[in-house]
Amino acid sequence: MNVFLSLRSTTNHGTVLSPRRAFAPTFSMPYAQLVVGPAGSGKSTYCHNVHQHCASLGRTLSVINLDPAADEFRYPVTADVRELISLEDVMEEEELGPNGALMFCMEYLEDNMDDWLAEQLEGYMEDDMVIFDCPGQLELYSHHSAFKSMTEKMTGWGWKMVCVYILDAQFISDGTKFIAGCLQAQSAMLHLALPHVNILSKVDMLQDKSVLEPYLCPDHQRLANELDERMDPKYRKLNHAIASVMEDFALISFAPLDISDEESLQFVLYQCDCAIGYGEDADVRTSRDVEYGDEPDMSNLSLE
Amino acid sequence: MAAGKRGNVYVVVGMAGAGKTSFLERVATYLERSGKPPYIINLDPAAMRLPYDANIDIRDTVDYKSVMSEYCLGPNGAILTSANLFATRFDKVVSICDLRAQDYEYFFIDTPGQIEIFTWSASGIMITDMLSAHFRTTILFILDTPQCQNPQIFMSNMLQAVSVLYRSRLAVILVFNKIDVASHAPLVKLLSDMSLFQSELEGVSDFSSTLTQSLHLILQEFYEHLKIVGVSAATGSGVEEVISVLEDVGAG
Ligand SMILES: Nc1nc2c(ncn2[C@@H]2O[C@H](COP(=O)(O)OP(=O)(O)OP(=O)(O)O)[C@@H](O)[C@H]2O)c(=O)[nH]1
Ligand SMILES: Nc1nc2c(ncn2[C@@H]2O[C@H](COP(=O)(O)OP(=O)(O)OP(=O)(O)O)[C@@H](O)[C@H]2O)c(=O)[nH]1
Ligand SMILES: [Mg+2]
Ligand SMILES: [Mg+2]
Repeated sequence: MNVFLSLRSTTNHGTVLSPRRAFAPTFSMPYAQLVVGPAGSGKSTYCHNVHQHCASLGRTLSVINLDPAADEFRYPVTADVRELISLEDVMEEEELGPNGALMFCMEYLEDNMDDWLAEQLEGYMEDDMVIFDCPGQLELYSHHSAFKSMTEKMTGWGWKMVCVYILDAQFISDGTKFIAGCLQAQSAMLHLALPHVNILSKVDMLQDKSVLEPYLCPDHQRLANELDERMDPKYRKLNHAIASVMEDFALISFAPLDISDEESLQFVLYQCDCAIGYGEDADVRTSRDVEYGDEPDMSNLSLE
Repeated sequence: MAAGKRGNVYVVVGMAGAGKTSFLERVATYLERSGKPPYIINLDPAAMRLPYDANIDIRDTVDYKSVMSEYCLGPNGAILTSANLFATRFDKVVSICDLRAQDYEYFFIDTPGQIEIFTWSASGIMITDMLSAHFRTTILFILDTPQCQNPQIFMSNMLQAVSVLYRSRLAVILVFNKIDVASHAPLVKLLSDMSLFQSELEGVSDFSSTLTQSLHLILQEFYEHLKIVGVSAATGSGVEEVISVLEDVGAG
């Protein structure tokens, strides 16, 4: 277990979980958030709110839609996968069901990264941030190759990426449910091998927000005990194995997101920034802040 | 198991395309031939064609296309929402099954490939809770054996399976499907032998392989509680074994 102990000391903020590319300190590259999670968990809403929040701070951030099934947007769409391929056309022409068609679209995107995606990402510079609104289909994040290829490509192009995994807070009612959600997020973490931020969405809809408290930064022993209480006794060892792996990897911290509360948005965004080192270079930040403090940064608007 | 529970319900779950529907068709045909036709419930609102006769079909109750337009949802959201809508009336399904339990030994439930219904959303848990209150209920977790030859895909499937176990708190049987294309024996070996797993992972990034190794500790524990069978829905090989495992579980 020594390996894990040494890992733990560096993973407190969930930041160093994936191999980071070594950059020369003066050379910073654009940043991207890949917003993923189950269907309806609040990915597009998150993109909208983060976009608005940043706009109010004068921080520019572009949102790119990668969900071919999306049809309405509350954020300004900088680029849209539906310009590349249409889900309806695929369903019709390939005679596929909705799932198959979505997979087909994502494979098509994968085949067109060097032209379509590269083109959309042209012109972004140091300290720019792009958010990708992704489809709600889990196997895309747990084992399909499209997003893996995309993150590998973009990392190769010099982008610093974080995976933002969004789960609906309403589905956590006890430890067993919580563990089920953690294991989901872990599949994505394992597959995409990106720095990872877990978010519990729709916290504003909870009647009793205190139910979340034990799960935001859980005590592993307590969690194991709770699992013991709820599961058949024969699963005791399994419960403890799960709790200890979670502890070793600091895997299960979740940031609660209450969209009615700006501070909560700010905290979530801060977590994402930390995970990819956005704004780490204090000099750059200050100069930018001064430079753009009074008027909004217009330089990105021509990038479309 | 609690006394007084009649009937065995098997909930067939698995990732999209793993072969849940084909598996059910194969098992149904086999059981019919042995004079014990099963009672089948389809929960996949987007199924285009079912190769078996469903006794209860969600598509008769919920029109998934109009859910899409009515709630302004994408296909995945619509499938989840349809499942939610149906789950609210699932007590009716349970009472029908209750009546049928005199005539049928086996009840099967086919589900959509959106496994998050059973790993995360509220509808899956409503359904499994209602079922397990009345019947001896077991999860059949179907894996795509050829796909699982990739260790990462295999790991991801296994994490889903553990997730279903915690979410539903029901016994899980792993069913390796499509063994006509690839054998499941090496995968079963992998589950029980850590050293094999490490050699499989060479070339994977350090982080992933360290995490995978320790997740493997979880799987080793999980393995202790699993029944495992291999089957080919396409050729029918392994079906007898499946039935005998189902009978074992059914006997309590
Ligand atoms: N009250 C509240 N509602 C939310 C929140 N996040 C999402 N919703 C609602 O949940 C539903 C789904 O949200 P979306 O943002 O479309 O979810 P998504 O993950 O993009 O969904 P798909 O793209 O279909 O997978 C919408 O009706 C949202 O208004 C939240 O934080 N609070
Ligand atoms: N070679 C082989 N192919 C199989 C087998 N079982 C299923 N398939 C194929 O796998 C594909 C998916 O099968 P389905 O039975 O529709 O899978 P499913 O899990 O019900 O899929 P969804 O309902 O969409 O999640 C089909 O093309 C089947 O013909 C098998 O045992 N061997
Ligand atoms: Mg969306
Ligand atoms: Mg099916």
